[in-house]
Amino acid sequence: MKRRNFLAAGAAAIAAPSIARAQATATVRWWYHFDNPQHSPADLVAAFERANPGIKIQAESIPWGGGNDYYTRLYAALVANNAPDCGMVKLGNMSRLLEMRALEPLDAMVDSWAGAKDIADSLWTLHKAPDGKRYYLPLQYVVLYLYYRVDLFQQAGMAPPKTFDEFLAAARATTKGDVHGFGMRGGAGGHDHWGTFVLGGGANFERGGMVSPRALAANRWFVALGRQHGVFPPSAPNDGFRQIVDNFKAGRTAMTIHHIGSANEMVQALGDRVSAVPVPRGPDGKGWTSFGDESNAVFAASRNKAAAFRWISYLSTGDANVEFNKFTGQLTVTQSGAANWTLHPKRFVDATAQSVPIADALPNVTQTADFVRTVWPTNMQRALLGQIEPDEMMRAIERQYHG
Amino acid sequence: MVGNRFTPYLFLAPALLATAAIVLYPVASTLWMSLHDFVLFRPHSVPFVGFGNYARLLADEAFWISLWNSFVWVGLAVGLQFALGFGAALVLNESFFWRSAARALIIIPWALPSVIIGLMFTWIYDYNLGLLNDLLLRIGVLDGPVAWLARADTALLAVVAALVWQGFPFFAVVILAGLQAIPSELHEAAEIDGASRLQRLRHVVWPGLKGVILTALLLRTIWVANSLDVILVMTGGGPGYATHTLPLYAFLRAYSGMEFGYGSALAVVLTLFLMALATVYVRRTMREAFR
Repeated sequence: MKRRNFLAAGAAAIAAPSIARAQATATVRWWYHFDNPQHSPADLVAAFERANPGIKIQAESIPWGGGNDYYTRLYAALVANNAPDCGMVKLGNMSRLLEMRALEPLDAMVDSWAGAKDIADSLWTLHKAPDGKRYYLPLQYVVLYLYYRVDLFQQAGMAPPKTFDEFLAAARATTKGDVHGFGMRGGAGGHDHWGTFVLGGGANFERGGMVSPRALAANRWFVALGRQHGVFPPSAPNDGFRQIVDNFKAGRTAMTIHHIGSANEMVQALGDRVSAVPVPRGPDGKGWTSFGDESNAVFAASRNKAAAFRWISYLSTGDANVEFNKFTGQLTVTQSGAANWTLHPKRFVDATAQSVPIADALPNVTQTADFVRTVWPTNMQRALLGQIEPDEMMRAIERQYHG
Repeated sequence: MVGNRFTPYLFLAPALLATAAIVLYPVASTLWMSLHDFVLFRPHSVPFVGFGNYARLLADEAFWISLWNSFVWVGLAVGLQFALGFGAALVLNESFFWRSAARALIIIPWALPSVIIGLMFTWIYDYNLGLLNDLLLRIGVLDGPVAWLARADTALLAVVAALVWQGFPFFAVVILAGLQAIPSELHEAAEIDGASRLQRLRHVVWPGLKGVILTALLLRTIWVANSLDVILVMTGGGPGYATHTLPLYAFLRAYSGMEFGYGSALAVVLTLFLMALATVYVRRTMREAFR
């Protein structure tokens, strides 16, 4: 079946009897962001519009800018009563959007949508709001895992690490000359790296959870990786996504943490010399890795809520969702799509699946967005540079969440 | 006649209204916002806190670091831009066969967008692939690469260097124009009187350029003091607070923290500093206008 045909068939399949109730000429404004601005959802829009003649989709590409640009624009549009009908959103911003009373509960619409059963219960659970309602419709996801250089590990006679101790041993064994054991991301987005070892080592976001003896010890251990053991590159405090991936590809680091979204780029550069395993676990056998989500939401001020839901539910349906994930390089949220997944080499899909049991999102509270963008990077960088003690960093995070 | 009395104001009204709309209203709005706890994602609760935001910044470590960095940033960037620009202008005022080409080429850094300059220098300073490390390693100045933008002791200086490269052509062009306005008879007379090059520079060039240089220094100081684009692109203010300046900190509080009230208070403090400079500049221009 040609791609356009199956997209149209998928769109038609979800056009339930309630289609007649949709506005005759509703225009749905949808905000989206793709890392690669050359990608366009035009085929998906066209297929949907053919199957839903009464609905026009006005897809607006919004710059992501690490999340800052996108959400600043979204909040400003919401305050100015000029928000889209629906748009892509992440869990970390749900509580802020709820505080703005900007989100429309989707429970009734989800309950009458046939595609809901194709999304795993665990995903629905992760996407529920603190008040128990469903405001987000899952669209794609990733789980962070540990990339390692097979060739560098073989040279050092090491196996991929399963525990923190094994990680330290492997990082030290592969740190030689210009090569550093672990490509740590100290710039924006690096809280995922820190979370693996500090949240996995016993810290948590409950009151007092960042300043408990276990939490402080875990953070000291993590900072020591860079300051004492020297397994981070000196550029780590400012390194972002591009630097950690490029350093790993160039053989300047032996391990790093990222997700399946970069797997194809890694394989293209390294072939079989790159592989992945779940992130290592702490001394008590527990672990933590970041669940990276992306959903769609309908905004409360929309005058086309039914049509907007029809569009976003189409994007989370079977083949259309697989097609959507080709643009983003992430994983489908549908069980039918996952059954025949061919977009990534199997070893990375397996590493993702094996990481799910320890995957979690950051707390769904208003403080999280600023923690990610400002509080964590600033304090992490200062701790790595020795400007503050590791414990002071943890106290700053505790203050961010609990005053 | 009454009509005649109001006629000038009627003519001025459109310009005054436009100024009020695009200058006075945003300024008044920022002042008003700085007196509120205005968080963008809490639009339904914007309590009046008086000078609470201003009291808060006095106890904010990042504010004081940013303020100090702003002085270092402005002092070094403007000072070095001026020194380099002055030297370049003196050279470009001499006769050599490719002077016209040199005068055209020197404008390039000034004409490039700040974001491009930020990205360009980020790669020049890159720890692994950077041109600077490669060059210094080859000539034996360094034993190993330096993470210029990731070290607290080098990050601000590295960003200042990028801004110096971008901004020195402004001084070069302005001072060159000033040099060309000095009558050649003065140089000739000084030469006949036996003045050395240094004496000519002090007694002929400097008096002729003083006005131009002071105006250029004032303008550039104001521009550099409130610029944040190059820093934002190169370091985002990091590592830690190493490259935080006041406008950058205000921007980050407003657009990362969504704290528009606190961000506005920071912006008002910055404005007060700049107002002092702007007042000097306006008084100078008024004096010249009425001379």
